[in-house]
Amino acid sequence: MKLTRFEKAKIVGARALQISMGAPILIKVPDDIIDPIDIAIKELEAGVVPITVRRKPPKKREEIPMDRGKSK
Amino acid sequence: MKALTEKEVEKMLMEHADSLPDVILEDLKREALAAGLTAKELETVLGDVLKRTEYAQVEPGEAVGVVAAQSLGEPGTQMTMRTFHYAGAAEMNVTLGLPRIMEIVDARKQPSTPMMTIYLEEDIREDREKAKEIGNMISAISLSDIVEKTETNLLDSSITFRLDTKLMKSRGIKIEDVITRLNKSKIEVPDYSESRIVLKSKTQELRELRKLATKVLGTHLAGIKGIERALVKREKGEYVIFTEGSNLKEVFKIKGVDKRRTKCNDILEIEKVLGIEAARRAIIMEILDTLNEQGLRVDVRHIMLIASAMTVSGTVRSIGRHGISGDKASVLDRAAFEITVDNLLMAGVKGEYEELDGVVKNVIVGQPVRLGTGVVELTMKMDKPKEAAK
Repeated sequence: MKLTRFEKAKIVGARALQISMGAPILIKVPDDIIDPIDIAIKELEAGVVPITVRRKPPKKREEIPMDRGKSK
Repeated sequence: MKALTEKEVEKMLMEHADSLPDVILEDLKREALAAGLTAKELETVLGDVLKRTEYAQVEPGEAVGVVAAQSLGEPGTQMTMRTFHYAGAAEMNVTLGLPRIMEIVDARKQPSTPMMTIYLEEDIREDREKAKEIGNMISAISLSDIVEKTETNLLDSSITFRLDTKLMKSRGIKIEDVITRLNKSKIEVPDYSESRIVLKSKTQELRELRKLATKVLGTHLAGIKGIERALVKREKGEYVIFTEGSNLKEVFKIKGVDKRRTKCNDILEIEKVLGIEAARRAIIMEILDTLNEQGLRVDVRHIMLIASAMTVSGTVRSIGRHGISGDKASVLDRAAFEITVDNLLMAGVKGEYEELDGVVKNVIVGQPVRLGTGVVELTMKMDKPKEAAK
């Protein structure tokens, strides 16, 4: 499944926060890249970010058969 | 390379039945066959169509409502600067532009210029005489239309109406019909002839006499109530009747009227006669037409959302205080809209419950809104700590 742009933003944000606070980086990055956000984007592109998106399925509708309205 | 046969095209299209809407699939099929595409060509076209369809889709979490409001609001500012009334085509005065949009969105009881476009059934579509006949049948005639002159006589307190016999003949109204009509509305006619009607009154006052005269003149004689004028015009090879004033229910009873295509610009009347789904469609079409007429292009989907919001409850509700915003179930939504203190106070008295499941409510409380980035929920994968350490 493709990620929506909101999901991408949220993941990059969360991962960048971890990196900025000293989390180990999961890919090799050139020495000149030091911005945690850039690193997080690279990690996301490489698909190694240890974060999962939890999608909620839309609320299920209840189906009420017509015979329930029958009076006994 | 050979052009594809219908079966082959269908087979290729069916592979994408899940990702493409039916309308597009149909269009593709028709066009591919007309152009005689080869397999490779269709493949390229399909790829392009798929890409564009995906681009046109809205991502989950998108604030569609706000975007719809903006998309209609911006062209709206341009409309204010233009004309309010437009002496439109078909020699009829139609409310268009911003006032018309306001009318629709406010779900007014009656549009300021009710109008109908009546289409005819297939067999009489091209028959000018038949169309004229129906047009004549439809437009309402009251007594005042056939009266040439009104004379009030104070001596014997009588009113005499001189009738336009020529007009009566052309509209097919007989004097006997007029008398029975008048009797039906409890007006006694002591004396009448081909060209005049005499009424008697008990009062001696001139004022009372005049009052009676105007009352009698308003009597509805023939045609359909509410339809003031009917105009027959040729449009795209068929005769169409345009009317000023509307009365869907009665027009549908007339033989020869195509009920499937006949249009009306009174949305509440459509709701009453044809139901809520028809009303939703009417709202969409009306807004879209008024915008297009002004040369403004707005994506249908924004308008569809507005129309849906107005009709979800099963009846047409206006946008604003008396409609959707006014009777929301949520306390904070109502408080955010108007009379904050009263709403909160009454909610407190009644002990109402707040789910905090909307945008405004979460802003008030100071929580992230469940929209855009706010809907995304993340969890950490905790099962691979060793790998991460490497």
